[in-house]
Amino acid sequence: MMRNDPIKHVFIWPAVLVVLAISIFPLIYSFTTSFLSYRLIPPIPPRVVWFGNYATLLQEPRFWNAIFTTTLIAFIAVGVQYVIGFGVALALNARVPGERLFRVALLLPMLLAPVAVALVARMIFNPTMGPLNQFLSMFGLANLPFLTNGHWALGCIIAVEIWQWTPFIILMMLAGLQTLPEDVYEAAELENASAWQQFWGITFPMMLPISAAVVFIRLIESYKIMDTVFVMTGGGPGVDTETLTLFAYQEGFKKFNLGYTSALSFLFLIAITIIGVTYLALLRPHLEKRR
Amino acid sequence: MSGQGLTGLSSWSRRLVAAGVLVWCLISVFPLYWVVVTAFKTPPGVVGGPTYVPFVDFTPTLQPFIDLYQGIRGEFFRTFLNSTIIGLSAAAIATAVGAMAAYALVRFEFRVRFGAGLIFFLLALGGYLLFNNTLGFTRPQALLLAFPIALVVAIVSNRLPLPGPILGNEDILFWFVSQRMFPPIVTAFALYLLYSEIGRLGFQLIDSYVGMTLCYVAFSLPIVVWLMRDFFEAIPIEVEEAAMVDNVPSWRIFLGIVVPMSMNGLLATFMITLAFVWNEFLFALFLTNSRWQTLPILVAGQNSQRGDEWWAISAAALVAIIPMMIMAGLLSRMMRSGLLLGAIK
Repeated sequence: MMRNDPIKHVFIWPAVLVVLAISIFPLIYSFTTSFLSYRLIPPIPPRVVWFGNYATLLQEPRFWNAIFTTTLIAFIAVGVQYVIGFGVALALNARVPGERLFRVALLLPMLLAPVAVALVARMIFNPTMGPLNQFLSMFGLANLPFLTNGHWALGCIIAVEIWQWTPFIILMMLAGLQTLPEDVYEAAELENASAWQQFWGITFPMMLPISAAVVFIRLIESYKIMDTVFVMTGGGPGVDTETLTLFAYQEGFKKFNLGYTSALSFLFLIAITIIGVTYLALLRPHLEKRR
Repeated sequence: MSGQGLTGLSSWSRRLVAAGVLVWCLISVFPLYWVVVTAFKTPPGVVGGPTYVPFVDFTPTLQPFIDLYQGIRGEFFRTFLNSTIIGLSAAAIATAVGAMAAYALVRFEFRVRFGAGLIFFLLALGGYLLFNNTLGFTRPQALLLAFPIALVVAIVSNRLPLPGPILGNEDILFWFVSQRMFPPIVTAFALYLLYSEIGRLGFQLIDSYVGMTLCYVAFSLPIVVWLMRDFFEAIPIEVEEAAMVDNVPSWRIFLGIVVPMSMNGLLATFMITLAFVWNEFLFALFLTNSRWQTLPILVAGQNSQRGDEWWAISAAALVAIIPMMIMAGLLSRMMRSGLLLGAIK
């Protein structure tokens, strides 16, 4: 039942005002700035260039490289997170022995500061003194260039992302699994459906809406990746691991090229929106069929 | 719930599954073990190659923590206080304000005309350009003038029969949550410019308590509204209806009945928000430079300043990690009481 009472405005306006002020405000500000040629160092008075910044950016290989790198990290990391996360959630839901102990351990990584995690990762991936090097040396793979080779560095960043965020997927999928009705499984038991058939025939389709939501959240969050990369490689070697946010930071905060950076962040926003809308459009037919 | 999906498996494959989960747990825990152990190492314990077991492989020492406390590697003590103060106040304000908004969205009906929203946006944008370019105000002045004008006109025009769809509570909720989708760099960078221009007017926001808290409150509100809405929806409405029959005012229903009933949810939301703020890096990177620097910035700085002094790096990372470890323990307790079940729907 919905009430109607003037006091509702007192309840909702503080939140609306704060969010409006802190998010719409800067949005307008940087939107208008993105059409200017505006630098703080050296200080040149702003000049209107319309789509000049956008055109320069779209021709800039470094921009496309950042988009590619970010997409690669986001898709691979989220894909692996989903597979491992779903698997562990299924196991935990089936009351694997020792499950209580697992829960704290599984919750931990995602609550830790990504910068701290990245620092720890730097130590573990150290090519001479790190524990991973010692472990791999046993298989004859000593002194791998973990963070100094572009491909390896990308792999290490993805590994850290997987380590840190799989718990989120486990948590969400576990919550979802616990809401599934039991009678369907009982019926499947009577039909002698194997565990494999039960998974693909019942569990997976019924979990599809939750899966879609969880993957969507992780995908959007992964596109914002910055702190992990900032600490682990700083975007290097060269610009091999430079993500969009890091690129924007370098341009904006190191060179103070305001118009250019504003245009960059808007292209970023557009890219995220395109990915989000495409993702939802691709999934919609599957989701609606189940209703 | 019975063992769905695994009932058909033999006991042998059950053991295999358990082993798989165990492996993942070890992978999860090993880096944490490593950082804890490394923080107690002496320089020789680090340089000689990886060592794992204290007292067997190396002699533990407290020196790294003493160094930290004495401020040899940056002002850890003050930064820790900064993080705590900003984190606690931002999480408390965000939970309070967000819970109110979430309650309003669950129990009251809102109707916003799409046209009014459009008018707000166009007036804010147009007014800003007009004040700045034509009337010669500075940029922050123009923004501060255009914003209230646009807001007032939009609120008034919401009462007029404008064409276009009418947005309800679900759409307002979506608007809140969609704020989380924005790449924070868009906001962070613009906020930096805005704060520094306001600073030129004489009100310092960059590197200040107010500026940081305000930004983190706004940044956390979407999550708070999203989480709290589910908790409030789970509260049976009959209790509130009974109070309404007795003519208890809405704010007393909220404070006296709803808040105590959803204490668990409020607490969990508060902790999740605190974790977000505590770990946040990008906004702190842009908006602080010395006095109100937070832990993630100082921790990230350890990297470049000190080459391979792992004992110091580990101790620094631990300072940032330990409060969150305690929180994970607390949260996992609440998790068992079915806390996060609601959040997903």
